[in-house]
Amino acid sequence: MTVSLDTEITVPELTPWAPGKSGGEDLLVCRDVSYAYVERFVALDRVSLTVRRGESVALLGANGSGKSTLLKVLDGLIFPDSGTYAAFGQWVTEENLEDEQFCTGFRSRVGFVFQNSDAQVFSPTVREEIAFGPLQMGLPNATVEKRIADIVRVLGIENLVDRAPYQLSGGEKKKVAIASVLVMNPEVLLFDEPTAALDPRTQQWLMDLIVELNRAGKTIVLATHDLDVLEVVATRCMVFSEQHRIVLEGTPAEVLGNRDLLLEVNLIHTHSHRHGEISHGHAHELKHHDTAAEGGRP
Amino acid sequence: MSATERASTSPTLEGAPKWLLRAEPGLCPCGCIGRRRKGSFVQKTLEAGANVLRQAVFSEEMTQRRGFLQRLDPRVKFISMLGLLMVAALVRNTPTLLALYGATLVLAAASRIPLGFFVRRVWLFIPIFTGIVVLPATFSFVTPGNIVLPLWHWHGHPVGLTSQGLQAAGLIVSRVAVSISLVVLLTITTPWTKLLAGMRALFVPRMFILVIGMAYRYVFLLLNSVTDMYTARKARAVGASSGDVKEGQRFVAASAGALFGKAHALSEEVHQAMQSRGYRGDPRALSRFTIGGLDVAWMLGCMLVAVAVLGGDRLLGH
Repeated sequence: MTVSLDTEITVPELTPWAPGKSGGEDLLVCRDVSYAYVERFVALDRVSLTVRRGESVALLGANGSGKSTLLKVLDGLIFPDSGTYAAFGQWVTEENLEDEQFCTGFRSRVGFVFQNSDAQVFSPTVREEIAFGPLQMGLPNATVEKRIADIVRVLGIENLVDRAPYQLSGGEKKKVAIASVLVMNPEVLLFDEPTAALDPRTQQWLMDLIVELNRAGKTIVLATHDLDVLEVVATRCMVFSEQHRIVLEGTPAEVLGNRDLLLEVNLIHTHSHRHGEISHGHAHELKHHDTAAEGGRP
Repeated sequence: MSATERASTSPTLEGAPKWLLRAEPGLCPCGCIGRRRKGSFVQKTLEAGANVLRQAVFSEEMTQRRGFLQRLDPRVKFISMLGLLMVAALVRNTPTLLALYGATLVLAAASRIPLGFFVRRVWLFIPIFTGIVVLPATFSFVTPGNIVLPLWHWHGHPVGLTSQGLQAAGLIVSRVAVSISLVVLLTITTPWTKLLAGMRALFVPRMFILVIGMAYRYVFLLLNSVTDMYTARKARAVGASSGDVKEGQRFVAASAGALFGKAHALSEEVHQAMQSRGYRGDPRALSRFTIGGLDVAWMLGCMLVAVAVLGGDRLLGH
C-alpha cells in the first residue's frame, strides 16, 4: 500500500524510529481505514480510531462486525485497502514492516493475543512457545530463560513449561498464549475476544490480569461483545455497527446507557426471565434489577 | 421491520411447522432384537484416532521414565545411535549382529522399557517388509548352493531353500532387526521435542526442524477435528445408511475437503501469530543442552563397542 503524506489526516509527528521513545500520547492512529476480504467481503468501512498511551479501549460489536479485522490491522498483520495507520509516530505499511529495525521495534511494542489459542500456541512445548518471541527479537538465551521463569511464575503456569500443547486445556492454552506475548513486554496489548470459550473462573482471572496490566501502564485494546466486563476493564469504548463502521465512542457508562443503539448493533437483546412468581421481558443490560426505570417490568 | 425491532424480537415458535411441535414417532421401538451391525468405517476411524492419541501418550510416558538412555543428552544419543547404525551396516556375520541385538535388549531393559513391548515393536514390521524382500533369495534358483529343504523338482533338478540363501536372508533380517531396534531405542527414550532440538544442534536446517515440529504439534489438532467430524456423523447415523459404501465414500471425500479447508485457514492464522511475534523467515530456538560425565562415558563406551564389534567380525571372517 502506498501512503500519501499530504492527506488531510493528522498523524503523529513522523520522526525517525527512536527505541524507548514514543511520538506522543497517541500511540495507534487509524484514519478512514477500509478493508475487504478477497476484495469482496467488507470487514471495515472507513474506520477511524486513536489509542492513547495507558488507555484501555474496548472494541464492541456483534459477530462479524470487524473487531478482529481491526485488531489485525493494528498489529500490522493485514494492511488497509484505503485509509492510513500509524503507530508510535511511524506509518505502518507492508513496505515499512519489511525494514528490519522497524519490524523488530514495532513487533516488540505491540503484542496480540489471538482468539484461537490453538493458532497462537504452535511450538512443540510451552517453553519453546514462550521463548519464540524473545528469540526472534534477538535476546540472548540466558535473558530468555530468565524471562520465561519470571513470566510462568507471574501467571502461575510453572507446571506447564515442559508440556506439549495438545496436553493443555483451553484455559491453560490461553494462559500460555498470554505468557508468550507478555514475555516480550510490549507497550500495547491487543486481545481478541479474550474470554471466549473460557470457564467463568478463568474469565475472571483474565479480566483481573487485564486490569492489572493496564494499571501497570500497558495500553490495552480488546475486542469483545461481553458487556458485563466493560466497566471493569475499559476506559473507553468504540461500538461497531453490523455495517462495519464505528457508530459510537464513549466511556463504558455512556455506551451502556445508549440502549437503543446497543439493540440496533445487536449487542443486547430482549429476553424473558422469572423473579420468583413473576415472569417479565426487557432488554438485556447490566444491573437492570437495581434501576428504577425498568420499562420491561410487567 | 427496523433493525431495532428485528434485534429486539425474541425468537418464537408460533409459525413453526407442525411436525416440529409434535413428538416424533420412533422409527422402531426402543429395544434390542439381537441383530448386531459390524463396526462401520466411522467407528474404525474413531478407534484409530483414539489409538494414535493413546500411543502418543504412552510414548511420552516412556520418555519420562528414569532409565539409562533417558538420562543422556539427546545430541549425544543421536550421534551415538547413528554411529551404531553404521557399525550394524558394516558387520558381515550373523552371530555378531545377534550379539548386537542382545545388547539392544540390555539397553532397553536398562532404560525401563518393557521388553515384550520393545520386541513386538521391532519384529512387527520385519516379517512384513524385510521377509517379503529376502524370501526369494533363499530359493536355489536365486542363490544356488546346498539345498537344505527340497520343495519340488524342475526338469529333474531339485528346487528348494539353500543354506547359502538362508544365511544371506538371516544376515539381512538380523541387520534390519538391529537397525530398527536402535532407532526405536532412540525415539522411545527421547521426547520428540528434545529429539528435534538435538537435531537442530547438529546442524540440521532450522527451517526443517521448525516445519517438522509444527507438523507434529498440529497433527493432534487435526486429528481432533477428524474425530469430531466422525463423531458428529456417528451421532446422526440411523439405520442401514451407516453401512452404505457409496454414501461413506462421499462422506470421506467431503470430510477430507473440509479438513483441508480447516488446515489452510489454520496455517494462515499460525503464520500471522508467528509474524506478530517478530518472525521474519529466520527461526531461532533455545539451546539448553549440557554434556555431562555420563554422556562422555557413553560415547567412549560406544566407540569401544564399535571397535570390538568390527574387530570381532573381521576375526570371524566372511
